[in-house]
Amino acid sequence: MASAEQRTPEFEPPDAVGVRRPDPGPAGPVMLPGAGNAAMARMLQGAPSGPAGLAELSALAGNAQLARFVGGPPAPAAPAAPGVGAHGGPIQELQVKLSRLQASAAPLTEDGRYGPLTEAAVRTFQTGAGIVPVTGLADPVTTAAIDAAFAALPAPVRVQLALGATGPDVGFAQQKLNAVGANPRLVINAVFDATMMGPVIAYEIAALHRFPTGTVDAAMWTALDAGVKGGFVAPEGAGATPVEQNTPSGTANSLGTQVAGTSLHPVVGVGGLTSGPGVHELQQKLNNAGAAPKLKDDGSFGPLTQAELRKFQSGRVPPLPATGTADKATWDALDVASPASMTGAVERQWTEVVGGATYSMVGVGASHYSWEIQKTRMLVTAKVNFVGLAAPGAWFGHVEAMWNQYKGVDPASGTSMPIDFKMSSGGGGDANTVEVKPGTGRANAGEWFVADPNASKTIPHEFGHLIGLQDEYQLHPGDYVRVTGHEPPVGDAAGPAIAPSVVATNLQNAMVARSSANAQAASIGAGVKGGAYAQRVVQEYAKLATVTVPAVAAVAGPPPVPAKPAVPLTGDLLFDLNAALPSDNNSYETIQTFSYSSGSIMGDPGRVTDPHDHGAQPRHLGEFMAILGRALGGTWEAKRR
Amino acid sequence: MILRLVIADGSQSPAVAESVEVAADGALTGWRSVSDGGAGWFDGRLPPAELAEIQALIEAVGATPPKAAARPDSAEEVLELDATGPVSIAGLTAGPGDWSKLAAAARGLLDRLTDFPRAVVGVRYAPGVARLVHRGADPVRVDVGTVTVGATAWRGYYEPAGDWAGAVAGPGEIEAGPEWTYDLPLGLSFDSDTVVHLTADFTILNGPTRIPVRAKFTPDAPS
Ligand SMILES: [Zn+2]
Repeated sequence: MASAEQRTPEFEPPDAVGVRRPDPGPAGPVMLPGAGNAAMARMLQGAPSGPAGLAELSALAGNAQLARFVGGPPAPAAPAAPGVGAHGGPIQELQVKLSRLQASAAPLTEDGRYGPLTEAAVRTFQTGAGIVPVTGLADPVTTAAIDAAFAALPAPVRVQLALGATGPDVGFAQQKLNAVGANPRLVINAVFDATMMGPVIAYEIAALHRFPTGTVDAAMWTALDAGVKGGFVAPEGAGATPVEQNTPSGTANSLGTQVAGTSLHPVVGVGGLTSGPGVHELQQKLNNAGAAPKLKDDGSFGPLTQAELRKFQSGRVPPLPATGTADKATWDALDVASPASMTGAVERQWTEVVGGATYSMVGVGASHYSWEIQKTRMLVTAKVNFVGLAAPGAWFGHVEAMWNQYKGVDPASGTSMPIDFKMSSGGGGDANTVEVKPGTGRANAGEWFVADPNASKTIPHEFGHLIGLQDEYQLHPGDYVRVTGHEPPVGDAAGPAIAPSVVATNLQNAMVARSSANAQAASIGAGVKGGAYAQRVVQEYAKLATVTVPAVAAVAGPPPVPAKPAVPLTGDLLFDLNAALPSDNNSYETIQTFSYSSGSIMGDPGRVTDPHDHGAQPRHLGEFMAILGRALGGTWEAKRR
Repeated sequence: MILRLVIADGSQSPAVAESVEVAADGALTGWRSVSDGGAGWFDGRLPPAELAEIQALIEAVGATPPKAAARPDSAEEVLELDATGPVSIAGLTAGPGDWSKLAAAARGLLDRLTDFPRAVVGVRYAPGVARLVHRGADPVRVDVGTVTVGATAWRGYYEPAGDWAGAVAGPGEIEAGPEWTYDLPLGLSFDSDTVVHLTADFTILNGPTRIPVRAKFTPDAPS
């Protein structure tokens, strides 16, 4: 883990806890920027009431907000009628239902693959439903019965919520209010406080078109549950494993945060790349921008391409320096003149904040990848210059087994094409450098171990970094919702019978004492688990007076502890735990408790089991769906194939 | 002390906690918690030529390393020199530049350390067993009551050829000294044409402190 002194000024400080990043969607008034507090107060007191007051609040809530409230979920895909060996989105839907109907032995991993566990669950369902013969096949009769049984599952029993309420349902309501656009985001802390009141009232006005009551009553629950999926705990599998159902929220962006001022294009031409996908992209864009005669799209930067590039540069208004090199300014102009191409090269400089530390892939260590839209598929390639030992052949297969599970689909046109990922071995300016080290160890994005016994998971994870994806473990809530596209889970809402402020104070004392054991004892040892209660601790911690923890010398140990500089505590619990405490199991598990991690391949499947969010997810292909849209038109979605 | 490197990673279990220290006279000391050379204390002396190389690298660097955030999934690495005090080097990857060279050399010293065991327990493979072995001149107290053993077999150039993991009962809390070995049976036998890698997780006792450690055995595959 990195430590605080590594954070450099050029990196944007991450968002404060619970603050949503600027909405990249259509501009519009924010939901309730403390808005209308006076008006709300008047209305809650009952005066002045009536249409005038309602209109005032509607105006404050804003039309964009209203539009977000009335949007509905997309229609589900039609199921097929398959058996073992079948795969795809409909199988995944089937798995969701079988788990919820408790026909599977345990919650099924929703991977869209019709394997023995799925077949056994179908048999169990058929037996229970009296369907004969019991085949284990999801034939139309069985599928219809499963659909009917699933539809007949009781809706979650909801509690009416008013100011001061606590408990999981408060957390679920907070998730749903966030999902419909509460701004600033609500911390999922399972406490109905004054902060939550604003979004509740705004929703009442904008979505329920009613005079605000300041309560989440049955009508509001019905609307919230109809508008936003998830947000409840359901028993899954025969053992009734309680599984919190994820609440989708916004559009996921699983990429690392691009370093401000950097280009996504590699420099092409003199002093940069002179062959490969980056040159193809340049030639295609120059052609689309009006090259005459058209350049041969051969991926080789020769005199004709250079001349055409110079012509393009000097033809800008105002003209760009006619360098014959495609630099950031030139690519910016080319992207405007010719947004689409069928081939592209990406050089992504990015950072992430994980466990309170900043990590990056920048400079020569940036993520390098390319893509090509072919006749029948899209191919995404990350070329790797393996140094040190040779890369075992199996690694290349691990990448494909994990990542080649999706196709891009444009529902409007009915077009679809598989998205294939490939790790190739090679050098050059558009290659990633990975050192292959002997033996075993913990891999990072640029250092892999030749005898890694978990290579089938490790290599696809690190490959994810090579295509610009960030980690999905030990995140602040704002980053978690951005990268996963679902709300932070409510988890443990009640927590132990200790005031969160006491836990917060104990944690600060542990940091001052540089004691990760004390931090663990103050949190996990005191019964704190991840979720809403832990987030109340995070909030209480932010209210404490900050202190500076003095520098500390190295401890020989064992275990050895490095020297640390003085740490001015910031009030951000994750930053402070990381900066003040030694990096050991106690500090890692403590940070885990106050942060969020997904169970996907980019998350921490070893610590987070989530049958709904595992392996490669559609969100991880988001960039390539956008590229397909630019190149071919339409709005593309990643679907299991 | 002219150089100290500490690498720590609490995301792993057992945690990675490694240190190496070089004195002006070439004395090389340190501790390894997760290592091919075994876990425990190491103590030796660098030959003059190696010491001179390290000294030259130390003299070449400026007072502060270039700022660089570490790559995703990196461990914490803190280097201490007389001139600089503690500096983080996790972001200093292989490449040109005096600091990168010094960082690489310092990391190399952690491996070099394993040539000088003082009070160490390592693991070796013999058909059917994971053999715990003492290394060095000094005894070490260990809790090997239950040892978690992992075995991975490879064929050719790191083609997986089977694996096994399990908890194996050992002799309990003992003092392991020179010549001490203990065989832990593996629950699976591997083909003779494979290279077998082992991990053995146990606890080293240092006074009242119990330190979970992992000894590893990862010989190179024939390439
Ligand atoms: Zn990672």
